[in-house]
Amino acid sequence: MTEKEIIDITNRVFEEDFEIPAEKLLPEARIFEDLGLDSLDIVDLVVALQKSFKVRIQDDEKVRSIRTLQDIYNFIGDKRKETGL
Amino acid sequence: MKLHRVVITGLGSVSPLGRGVEALMDGIAHGRTGVRRMPGWEDYSGLRSLVGAPSELRDEKAIPRQKRRSMSPMSIFTVQAAEEALRESGLLPLSLDLNRVGCVVGSTIGSTLSINEFYEHFLPDRRFEEVPSTGFFRAMSHTASMNLAQYLGLTGYVMATSAACASALQAIGTGYHILNLGLQDVLLCGGTDELHPTVTGTFDLLYAASTGYNETPELTPRPFDAKRDGLVCGDGAGIVVMETLEHAEARGARVLAEICGYHTTGSGEHISQSNRPAMVHCMREVLRQAELDPGDVDYINAHATATLQGDGEEAGAIAEVFGDEVPVSSLKGYFGHTLGASGAIELAATVRMMAEGRIYPTRNLEEVAEDCKGIRHVPRSEDRRLTHVLKNGFAFGGVNASIALRART
Repeated sequence: MTEKEIIDITNRVFEEDFEIPAEKLLPEARIFEDLGLDSLDIVDLVVALQKSFKVRIQDDEKVRSIRTLQDIYNFIGDKRKETGL
Repeated sequence: MKLHRVVITGLGSVSPLGRGVEALMDGIAHGRTGVRRMPGWEDYSGLRSLVGAPSELRDEKAIPRQKRRSMSPMSIFTVQAAEEALRESGLLPLSLDLNRVGCVVGSTIGSTLSINEFYEHFLPDRRFEEVPSTGFFRAMSHTASMNLAQYLGLTGYVMATSAACASALQAIGTGYHILNLGLQDVLLCGGTDELHPTVTGTFDLLYAASTGYNETPELTPRPFDAKRDGLVCGDGAGIVVMETLEHAEARGARVLAEICGYHTTGSGEHISQSNRPAMVHCMREVLRQAELDPGDVDYINAHATATLQGDGEEAGAIAEVFGDEVPVSSLKGYFGHTLGASGAIELAATVRMMAEGRIYPTRNLEEVAEDCKGIRHVPRSEDRRLTHVLKNGFAFGGVNASIALRART
């Protein structure tokens, strides 16, 4: 999976599940402050990302340090490498 | 303690006849039906009743996503009905002390759709993965009430009644008592439910759902009729704005009707069979509270769902209390049995009948059944001044509820 594919799939989750317009989905956008998600949304975001990328991230401590969309792209990329995908 | 008089100042509904009370009344006035053959229901093994009266979910995106994410269709219907009722009452935008404003919204079990959705994720492997975070908030038994309060920012009473098909009348009755005591100024009260094959199936397995009109859905349900063969489940929401008379008068609100009596009873006899003595007791107690003689009542809006047993018991109970002089009609032939919503949608329509001075007939009543004789049925619309009316709502579990309304004076 290329980096572009990771970005596209992640952004689609934000557009479809959280109804955030594409133009707001900039790599530096902060998930809480700029995109308006809250703690309940994060539970659903984790489920949606797990489903989309076939990785288990629910129990990964590194999830807590995610702040921006770019952090998600990086995290997913690393996670897929780690699990040999 | 001084008891406060309680009035209705706004009505709202989402019903199988459309969104809004106007659509509801237009459908009734033109004799339309919201009952249809339900596509895909033939795929459910053992389900014989393939008819339903669904309300249409639309414009839901007008509700912001973070408010909407905890709402299943029943909560969305409730919010839409409440906004309509608030608009009519003149209370929008809400600029009241919100600690004095609350809501009581009933339903049978919360969101049937969300409960089914949860088990579709969960079973057969008992997996919690992929269960949405807001699934429980969409499903729980006070979901409609909670969502409405969150949406409007209400900080007063937030309650849910749950007595199946009597839920809405119990909600309105409970609200009446809270306002009676002066504990709140304004309450949004009513009920809601959702249609799903498991709902109709529940009635079907008890032989209470209509099964003989799958190819001619417009001919069922048939309250009080000789050819009735059961109820048709529907869904939607009905909400009324209720407030103390002092509060309504102080703000110059237009009063639509006054609630002058409410009672609810159990039968103590049987969980599914209707019970005439309990119905009689319920209606008589309402008359006593309202200080009315049976002859003072100008119209009874019956529960009458078109079940074989229930309609006969209700007709018998009405005959025992009121004789055969008071006009009686049921609205379920127009939009089925909207279950937890029915009491509120039908009460809203009844308030509108009071304003119009017109009684709408029982749709599909062609030949009064032997066991439903002895009361004055309404075969066609009739103009009549409606000063006092009674609304009945009965439920599984032997639960009955009745409310008396007085026209604005």
